[in-house]
Amino acid sequence: MDLKALQKQERQKRVKYGYMWALFCAVLWGLWYLPGTAVWVLNPFDEMYGEIAAGSGDGVALVVVAVLITAFNALTVILALMVWNGTLGKLGEMKRTLKEIKPCTKWFFLASIFGGPIAILGSFMAMGFVGGAFAAVAALLYPVVGSALAAKWYGEKISKRAFAGIVIIILGGITIFGGGVLTELGSGNVMWLGYLGGLMAATGWGIEGAIAGKGLDIAEPDIGITLRFLGENIIWWIIIVPVLAIAGFPMFKYALLVFEPLVLLVLVFAGITFGFCYVSWYKSFPLIGVGRGQGIANLYGLFAVISIYLFFGDVPSWTIIVGGALCLIGSTVMFSEDTGEIESLRGD
Amino acid sequence: MVQTEAALEAYNAYWANSPLPAADILWMVVILIVAILALWQARVFVSKF
Repeated sequence: MDLKALQKQERQKRVKYGYMWALFCAVLWGLWYLPGTAVWVLNPFDEMYGEIAAGSGDGVALVVVAVLITAFNALTVILALMVWNGTLGKLGEMKRTLKEIKPCTKWFFLASIFGGPIAILGSFMAMGFVGGAFAAVAALLYPVVGSALAAKWYGEKISKRAFAGIVIIILGGITIFGGGVLTELGSGNVMWLGYLGGLMAATGWGIEGAIAGKGLDIAEPDIGITLRFLGENIIWWIIIVPVLAIAGFPMFKYALLVFEPLVLLVLVFAGITFGFCYVSWYKSFPLIGVGRGQGIANLYGLFAVISIYLFFGDVPSWTIIVGGALCLIGSTVMFSEDTGEIESLRGD
Repeated sequence: MVQTEAALEAYNAYWANSPLPAADILWMVVILIVAILALWQARVFVSKF
């Protein structure tokens, strides 16, 4: 076999794995909605919501409880990623990467700011002040931000075919959640903070992907994502949770009440799904590029609907079926792209 | 903090309408299977690249 044929074979293998990781991300992200939804009705979060809502209103209670749930989610994600890296024998590499602050760790800590308090908090704000369907649609737009930034910043190439696939998947996602958005917007009770939250979610995750792509030039994705969550844990547990406690919210009172088997079990499963989903997301970036990785990962909307139907029994409406078909068409457009198009991910 | 009866009732209500049997346990089994599959593929990936 000549060198060119070997190169082509290697490229095909890399692209195949890249799409596989992005697909793993979408499936696990969709499954995350099960523990991510169920944890809200369990104590201590249920009682915490009631106490804060009685004094400060439902909107504030939703955001403050979301902060504590997200902080615990970040904690269980780190545990899941330790298991991941331990199984792959990469714990030594983690120590080595952590010490290299200037070339790589700084990028992952920066990514944690955009992905954590900006995107996740923004998503919860959109959910609380407008509605869940609006939050989901707003978040679906993040690959547009991510691929545009990656193209502008370090010249990542995005073919017309890949771009068309991303747009079809986004349209599919919008159709899935569209009916809900119209109902929410039609209620006439929409607060600007909800729109700000939607914008924070789309830009936050998009910027995170582009920044992570830069850090992944020299660091392993498995380690990069662990450092990114180390950064997010510092932000939640050292900065935001104490600040909210100082502001008078009962953060530590309820945080210390979390040690109960059922709520811990649900949080652990949230950590496994979210942690493994995020590591798969990061693993796809160096193989197929930030734009394609984020585009395929956007299938999470479809997988969330399937998970929710299978386990919660919520029957999908016709808009969800049409949206799901669009998502499948969009991903087929991307999967069927000639690997020669992805020969070089960057323009340089 | 021990779960109240209302909290447990709300939690169990999520799985009550599932078309799958024992959905309250099955969701965790499915997550574990997908997670183990991902971890196994990650090990295969490490050995290939």
